[in-house]
This record gives sequence, structure tokens and C-alpha cells, in this order.
Amino acid sequence: MCDSVDQSEHPAPRQARSQRVPGMCIKCKTAKPNVSIRLSLYCKPCFVKAEIFKFRTALNKSRQKANQHGTKLMAAVSGGPTSMAMLKLILDFHNVGRQGKTASTAFASVTVGHVDESALFPGCEDGVQRILQAEDVEVVTARLEDVFDSEEGLELVEKTVTPGAVRDKFVAQIVRQNPGVSPRERLKQLFSGLSTATNREDMLDSIKTFLIKKLAQSCGCRTLLLGDSGTRMATKVVTYTSRGRGYSLPFEVLAESQWGDIAVLRPMREWIAKEVAFFNRWTAQPSAVVPTFTTGAPAKASIDRLTESFIVALDRDFPSTVATICRTVTKLQPQDDAADAVHCLVCGMPAEAGAQTWRNRLTVSDVSSTESEGPVAAGAKPEPEPETKLAAGGIDITQRLCYSCQNLLHDAKPGTVLPEFSTHRYQTSDAADLRKQIEEFLI
Amino acid sequence: MPRVCEICQGAKAILRRPKTGQSICKECFFRVFETEVHNTIVDNKLFRRGDRVGIGASGGKDSTVLAYVMKTLNERYDYGLDLFLLSVDEGISGYRDDSLETVKRNKEQYELPLLIVSYEQLYGWSMDAIVETVGRKNNCTFCGVFRRQALDRGALMLDLDHIVTGHNADDVAETILMNIFRGDIPRLGRCTEIATSGDGYITRSKPFKYAYEKEIVMYAYFRKLDYFSTECTYSPNAYRGYAREFLKDLEAVRPSAILDIIHSGEAMQVASEVKLPSQTSCERCGYISSNRVCKACVLLEGLERGVPQLGIGKSVKKTQDLLAGRTATRSGRAVDVVHFDKLRKHAQEMRHERCTGCTCDTSAPGT
Repeated sequence: MCDSVDQSEHPAPRQARSQRVPGMCIKCKTAKPNVSIRLSLYCKPCFVKAEIFKFRTALNKSRQKANQHGTKLMAAVSGGPTSMAMLKLILDFHNVGRQGKTASTAFASVTVGHVDESALFPGCEDGVQRILQAEDVEVVTARLEDVFDSEEGLELVEKTVTPGAVRDKFVAQIVRQNPGVSPRERLKQLFSGLSTATNREDMLDSIKTFLIKKLAQSCGCRTLLLGDSGTRMATKVVTYTSRGRGYSLPFEVLAESQWGDIAVLRPMREWIAKEVAFFNRWTAQPSAVVPTFTTGAPAKASIDRLTESFIVALDRDFPSTVATICRTVTKLQPQDDAADAVHCLVCGMPAEAGAQTWRNRLTVSDVSSTESEGPVAAGAKPEPEPETKLAAGGIDITQRLCYSCQNLLHDAKPGTVLPEFSTHRYQTSDAADLRKQIEEFLI
Repeated sequence: MPRVCEICQGAKAILRRPKTGQSICKECFFRVFETEVHNTIVDNKLFRRGDRVGIGASGGKDSTVLAYVMKTLNERYDYGLDLFLLSVDEGISGYRDDSLETVKRNKEQYELPLLIVSYEQLYGWSMDAIVETVGRKNNCTFCGVFRRQALDRGALMLDLDHIVTGHNADDVAETILMNIFRGDIPRLGRCTEIATSGDGYITRSKPFKYAYEKEIVMYAYFRKLDYFSTECTYSPNAYRGYAREFLKDLEAVRPSAILDIIHSGEAMQVASEVKLPSQTSCERCGYISSNRVCKACVLLEGLERGVPQLGIGKSVKKTQDLLAGRTATRSGRAVDVVHFDKLRKHAQEMRHERCTGCTCDTSAPGT
């Protein structure tokens, strides 16, 4: 659309259009530029038009790939700058579509899905609600503490065996929760039991992902838009890599991914944080400050925080960094066995087999067992960890955790109760296991 | 109250293990460090009994510890390997000459045969001479390309089956991150492999792939190993510097991060439609190459012609096509670069000689 405007106003020959005019906007070449994005200069109107165009191109490309037309759509909105920009853009797009100009591109409806994080960050919710109420759109909200609504919980009883033992063990039991403790309290207890900011961020990611997916399902939305900017996605790629999530990375940070029957699209993926800031400013789009565990903290407060400041700095010195990282991840594909893999009790992503054995072979903490090992010719892989039978309702959940979530729970205090979706995942996978065993006898 | 070692529960703990944070004693540290390297070797089936293994030795901490640990494990677990020290002399005064003295001492200390191959002897150009011609900017390209080939040449001179290098976990994690930052998809797929055999003649591997740099230093310190520590006098790789600094910060936030990144890197699978270059061998020197003339020969041609930019930057491919079918330019400095076929033939003869009367497979490696 930007191009067509250009042509009508400045009927310049083709080569001239592609040439830059020094000191002028790269698009219209007549106005003084107001902003520099990736070494290109734009004036205010051209910048806004170019950004709208970029959003629609990305959205349409993704929709085509995901084959999602005429479905109900949910936009995941935290109230932060990127998701608010996305909301504005998608509503504009939807309304234009509804007016019949390009009817085929419209969605059946647009709903905002929001996760209320005030249980962990008191006071942050008011601003967000005010902004959302000003928009002409239906808003559905889930609260973080909703994941503790159930009476049953999966409680870690003992996580590490005594020092010097061969393996870390993750043992849990299903407990009845004390009805006197509110879900909000239970949520707070969970987070205070996770010793580091990195672990808290990790857990919060898992809970928010679960909640937003559930919201989309309960509203019957088959398309979900996530407001991850390119900067955010690049940060996520590097953060997840550093947390040991390489196995599930292709499911977590692609431009389009499939969460069960929901197509997840990230139409803001080609915007860097700076573009979001200027777009919101010049289109008068309000947004709220969404706090995190490390807001205002120094860079080394957590992996996510450190990665973010690193990516932003690197992108300043090498302006293509964010785009390159985002492109890198599109070239990755899931491992062949990922489709049949167990889903992690905590993050719900596929968990590779033998993750703990791998770690134990490389962080040995038992010297006695190594003495008798044979020569190199014996070279066989060690046997997979046996599922230990435990007394008194204890369940060994080690193999039900992905590598990264083993890291997460490694530092968790005994007595930590996991969200109800962990219990649910445990029980459903258990039932699936049983069914597999008797499958051939079912008629 | 002195803390007790978390592993043996007996001796006094004197160090905090960088990889796990455990407080342990010196003997237990040696034991777990060595065992983890042993596990790496066994789980990946790196060697076969009777293999002739060269240890790429620079005199620095990584390779010195590697030589010591390889010798120790070979004896302890009876791998049945013939070990050698193999060094490359790039010809950098004030750096390599001193570190090679260390390697020579290591040769005596560990009673291992040593072979030193030099750029001067192989190509007629020392790094000092190259820097004099090209300046400080792209010299690392020359050094990297030449070293890779020099190690393979040395390996053939000794008729080795295998070269081990001292690359550690930090190096691997750093490379994974760097390839993500730069979007180097083919390398991202390859850089986590512990052993490579496709792109050279001799298998190369990194037994220290999972060993933390800090622990290698610690090991050298407590074992009182004799190593040389200085940075190369020519400029370090700036982009790698970014990744390195970031990795150190990550390690400070969560010590397992280095291992976690390697775990991630190993799980990443590159989409099959990503094109990887096909391999052929260089028509000048016989070295493996993705073009008719290999990169080393192009760089050498540039040096001889006095236009060192020839092999640098994006135009290399074009230059390589241009040089195909022509004979090499020679200046007064030039030495005859030995063709790989000749080296291979020699290696095969050595093997025959060693094996007269025995029934083992006498085909030389890489044939």
C-alpha cells in the first residue's frame, strides 16, 4: 500500500525510486527523515505506512502457511508496547476487512486474551485494564493463580539424593491441598520456592503459555497471535538455548507454530523494539509497563535479562543481528523422535529421552562406581535410568521432565507444589501409558 | 569449621567445582574430571585399540592438560593407543617460539614422541612474514586456514589415525552462540559434532568437549603442570570476543549454562533443505576443498603475487574459479608445497613397514 501511494504522488521512473536521496526519507525522498531504522532513514508518515505494510505482509504470509482463514482469532495482549501495537494493527486490519474492501481476509472475530499477573506483580494490572477498556474489543482474562484452582497438587518431596550419589532424583507425590490456603498464596509459595530469577522467569513462561492456550481453547479461537517483536524473539532464541531448551526450540519460537489445534502466529516478528516504540508514539497508541522479575535489576540478574541487554547491544553494533537470529531459527527442525516424545510435566514441551543420563555422565559426582569400569572396547552406552519404585505414593518424575525443567527443579525447595497442569499432565500421560500396554487387546 | 568433601565425605574440601558448585577435595576433583573425559571418550567411541593418536599440542593449558589426561587414561583404562605430540609452528616470535619450548619439555615429562611442522617449512611463509605483508587485519584468516592443513600434513607424516585437540566446552558453547548470531546454519549443524572425519583425511576429535575451561585451568594448577600462557601477539577475533564475554556472564548467572548450551546445540537439527557444499580435492595440493583450488592455495597465490587480498572476503569463490586450471605463481620465497597424494603414499609405506608379517589392514587413513 505504501508503494501505491508513492506512485500516485511521485511518478518517478523505476530506477530513481530505488535510489536513495542523501539526507532524505528512503521512501518518499522528499521529506526530511525523522527516524533511522537499520541504517535507513524514514520520515514520520512513510515510517508508519511501512510498518503497517510490514505487519500485514507478515500476517498474511503466516496465515497462508497455517491455512487459517475465517477463523476466530485471539490476540494475546499483555498491555506492553509490542502487544498493544499488534492489537491496534490487527483491529485496523480486521475492520478494513469487515468493511468489505478485502472481505476474504477478515477473521470471524477478534478477541483479546490477557493474563493478569497482579498476584506476582501487585499494582501492574490497573494500568493495563484501563488501556484495554478504551479499545473497542472483547477482552477475556485469566489470572496466574488459576493454575492452582484444583484441590490436587503435585508436590516435590525430595529432589536431590544425598551428595555423592549417582543421580539427581526428582520425586513427587500427589497431595490434597489445604483448602485454607488461597490459590494466590499457593502461587506465591511456588515462586518463592524457586531460588533464582532465571527459574522464576522459566516457570512464569510455562504458566502464561498454558493459560493463554487455555483461553484460546475456551473461546473457540483457532488462531492465536502472540506479540513477540523480533528483538524479543531473538532474545528468546538465545535465552532458550542457554537454558538447554534446544530440543523444543523449533516448537517454541517459530513465526508459525501449532499448539495442538491452535495455530500460533507472530506477526510482529520483523519489528525491532525501536520500531515499536516509534510506531506507538507516532500513532498515539498507549501501552503499559509490564514488570518482570528483573525490571530495574542489573544485567546479570537472570539469563533472560542478560541476554536481552546483550542482544540489544549487539544489534546496535551489527544492525542485522536480530533479523539474522530470527532467520536462523526458521532453519531448524524438530528431531525425528520429537513427535512421539513425552511431554514435560512443567513446560508441556516434548522432552527428549535420556536427558538425565547425558548430564550424569558429564557431571560425575560418584567416584567409586568408576573404578571397575572396563576398557574402551566395552564402549556401550550406559543403560537408561530405571524407573525406581518408591514407597508411600512417591513418584519418580525424572523421565517426565525435559532437560531444562530438570535444571529448574534442581534448585527448587522440597515441598514445592507444581501447578495443577503438572498433575493433569502426569495423570493423562499415565493413562496413555496404560492404554499403550493393553492396546493390542482392545477391540 | 573446615568443610568436608561432598563426594568422598572424608577429606577436607579445598575447591568449589565450577561445573556443579560442589565443594570437593583435590583427589576427588582429579577423579571426576578424568572420569568425565573418559566417559566422553567411551560414550562416543572415539578410538579403537591400536590407533595412532596425535595430540595437537600448542603448549597452552588446554593441550598440556589434554596430553597429561590422555596419557593417564590410556594407561588407567588400557585404551591401547600409541600417543604422539603434534605441534604447528606458525612462526610468531615472542609467542609460538616460547610455547614450543614448553611442548619440548612436555615431550620429556610425558615421554611422548613429538613432531613440529612449521608454516615456514610447509609453505615458505611464517606468520611474522605474512603479517609484514598483509598487516594486522586479516592475518587470522591465513593462520586458521594454514593451521588446519598443517595439522593434517603432520598427521600424515606420522601416519596417524586420529588427532585430538584441546577444544573445551567453553569453545564449543561459544561457537554455537556465534553461529546463531551470524546465522551460519551449516556450521551450526556441524559445530557440535565431537569427531569430524568428512572434511579432512584424519579423524579429529575433542575429548574436552564437555570440560569447562575453568576446570582445565584448575586441573593444571593442582597437578602443577608445565604450560605456557600468553595471548597470541596478533589481534584476537573481535566477534568471538563478544560471544566469549557473553558466555562468561551466562556462566556467572547459572554455572550449568555452558553445558546447557551444548545440550541445546546437540539437539538442534538443521532443516534438510539447507544446502551444504559438496567436497572435492584441490587440483594443486590435493587437499580436500569445496572448489577446484583450495583456500590455502588461493591465499598462498595471493602472497606470492604480492596481492594478499586475493583470498579474503566475498570474492574468494570467484578467485578460486579463476585460478582453476592454472599453475601456481612462484616468487623467490616459494617452497614446493608437497602434494597430499605424496604424503599419503609415504604414510602407506610407513604402515606397510610397521606391519610386515602382520595381517592388519594396511590401507593408510584417508584412502
